[in-house]
Amino acid sequence: MAVIQARGLGKAYKGKTAVNNLSFDVRPGTVTGFLGPNGSGKSTTMRLMLGLDNGHGTCTFDGHPFASYDVPMQHVGALLEAKPFHPTRTARNHLRMIAAPNSIPDTRVDEVLGMVGLADVANKEPGTFSLGMGQRLGLAAALLGNPHTLILDEPANGLDPQGIRWMRDLLKSLASEGRSVFVSSHLLSEMALMADELVVIGRGRMIANGPVEDFTRQSSANHIKVRTPQAHDLAALIGQRLAGQGSVKAVTPGELSVVGLTADDIGDMAFDNQIRLHELSTIQASLEDAFLELTGGSEEYQAQNPVPHRPQAPAFGGPQPGPPQGSYGQPPQGQYGQQPPYAGQPGQQQPYAGQQQPPVYGQPGQQPGQWAQPPQQTPPPQQAPRDGGDDQSGDRA
Amino acid sequence: MTAALRYEWRRLTTLHSTWWITGAAIAVSAGFTFVVAMLIRLNIPSELKGSVDKDDSRFFLEAGMTQFSNVDPVFYLIAFAIAILGILSWGHEYRHGMIRATLTAVPNRTAVWSAKFITVGAWVAAAVLVACVLSLACTLLWFASLDFEYDWAELGLSILQRMVYTVLLTWLVMAVTELIRHQTFALVLLYLWPLGVETLLRAMLLIFGIFNPGISDSARFLPFNAGGRIIQDFGLTNGYESNSGLFDNPLSPLGALIIFGGMTAVLMAGSLYSFKTRDA
Repeated sequence: MAVIQARGLGKAYKGKTAVNNLSFDVRPGTVTGFLGPNGSGKSTTMRLMLGLDNGHGTCTFDGHPFASYDVPMQHVGALLEAKPFHPTRTARNHLRMIAAPNSIPDTRVDEVLGMVGLADVANKEPGTFSLGMGQRLGLAAALLGNPHTLILDEPANGLDPQGIRWMRDLLKSLASEGRSVFVSSHLLSEMALMADELVVIGRGRMIANGPVEDFTRQSSANHIKVRTPQAHDLAALIGQRLAGQGSVKAVTPGELSVVGLTADDIGDMAFDNQIRLHELSTIQASLEDAFLELTGGSEEYQAQNPVPHRPQAPAFGGPQPGPPQGSYGQPPQGQYGQQPPYAGQPGQQQPYAGQQQPPVYGQPGQQPGQWAQPPQQTPPPQQAPRDGGDDQSGDRA
Repeated sequence: MTAALRYEWRRLTTLHSTWWITGAAIAVSAGFTFVVAMLIRLNIPSELKGSVDKDDSRFFLEAGMTQFSNVDPVFYLIAFAIAILGILSWGHEYRHGMIRATLTAVPNRTAVWSAKFITVGAWVAAAVLVACVLSLACTLLWFASLDFEYDWAELGLSILQRMVYTVLLTWLVMAVTELIRHQTFALVLLYLWPLGVETLLRAMLLIFGIFNPGISDSARFLPFNAGGRIIQDFGLTNGYESNSGLFDNPLSPLGALIIFGGMTAVLMAGSLYSFKTRDA
């Protein structure tokens, strides 16, 4: 079975870098999710992989460039456009046309039309198809040659919930047969259910590459939630224990968020110091948390949002305007109110005291699992803060 | 290459527009001949009798068969109608985002480009042949009372010239469409340039020729004016025009072929380079 090996992919438009030296592998038997904010270069990367765009680097499928295959669709199936067909050519003829140069019999055309649920409209003109039906037709084209590798750009766009589930099951099933599936999507919840591995890019650069579990495990959104009537005392103890290797923050007067210690550590500490606990739980970061944290500041296009006024979170001793207070551990410290605490920006100050730079791994030349530095981005001037970016205005550490 | 040809053949024949444009072009050509021949026959029935000498036979049969395109400066109708297929062949790729599907089915760009020009070229050439044969049949139907002196070699050459001209015109607009990647603009250019711009230039050169003798003759080198001379051999004032030299005025068919074909070749080379180097 085939492995996709992308090495040094790069592309610039009129001097502006769209894709910068991307290298990654997609292994057989896995669904590899391709994530990145809008304009981060995902589609360009996929086109580079297939030789549709001219750029730098190489990409091989089972050791061969895509263009070197005589019947490429029997090796690599691709879905790159939302509606890649002529509106008045019937769905069946569209597939027959694509099948013709790839030595694929017409019987297979009917087979894949049935597979994607378009058998009833096989002889209809797709100009009237919904976006979801168009995606199904595109997926049928990708599956036509029964390829060992699939490259799909946002295949879930326009699909209804049943369609999304069907697609997820289909792709996982195909991967379980040993195929390599490389799929981009903005549906993070869907990707969390479907992907085994991730390639995450921002502004054309590699941000992360590796198993989904590793990706979320490294997120600073993983924390311990502690509810106690003696929050001040416990926070002071935790701050001493952390000694800069983590953080403790007051979420509310009776609730702490701790990074850098396990629930067991905190439970023992509370027991040893006769501190009453009402809740002690481990909060796992979601893929969305990890993605937003790592790609913060990597968006190519950012909305201009008005900065809402947020109430200050009650810190110890009551609400306190001005410099952050009520946080424990090493500076920079702080407390925040109701805002999502994990909308960090790579290269910028993180919400947790003593927190390290979000780790990144999988940069070209590194082994999978190795972490590299995320792209250092300076937010463009005159742009509104992004997710939780108003935290920078002073209500976060 | 055969894979690309299979793809292009299937692409061309599975579109409704291919069939109705081809059908309409042939029907209009043959219909035009049918109607004109019928009107002549019905208006002067008594004079259309007896034998027709060689030159008149040649003129009438060729004119009927090709919708008077042998007369300078009449345009060859079917060529300008069916060349639209050439525009659509590239226009659809970019207008409907088909080019990426095409190149994932056949990644060899040179093969895709070549197959497109070969297939569409062969298609329009066949359409011209059918239109000529049908038009000749319509001519003979209404002028059956006349005893023509048939020169089949001359008629065959006449058909071949129109096939060549139509294929070159189609290739030219295909190349332009690929270069500009804009179907509508290419369609406008197909008619605006030969019918508007070159006619205007020709008129201007004629005016300047009053003061500068010889300038007006240079109009023969305008691409579409030259292209027309591949098929035109009859002047409205001079009758059949003979050529003493390749590029004399009026241009010889071979000279016209060199100029029009040369320009087409240059544009095709540009489009091939563009297709191979630009992003899909």
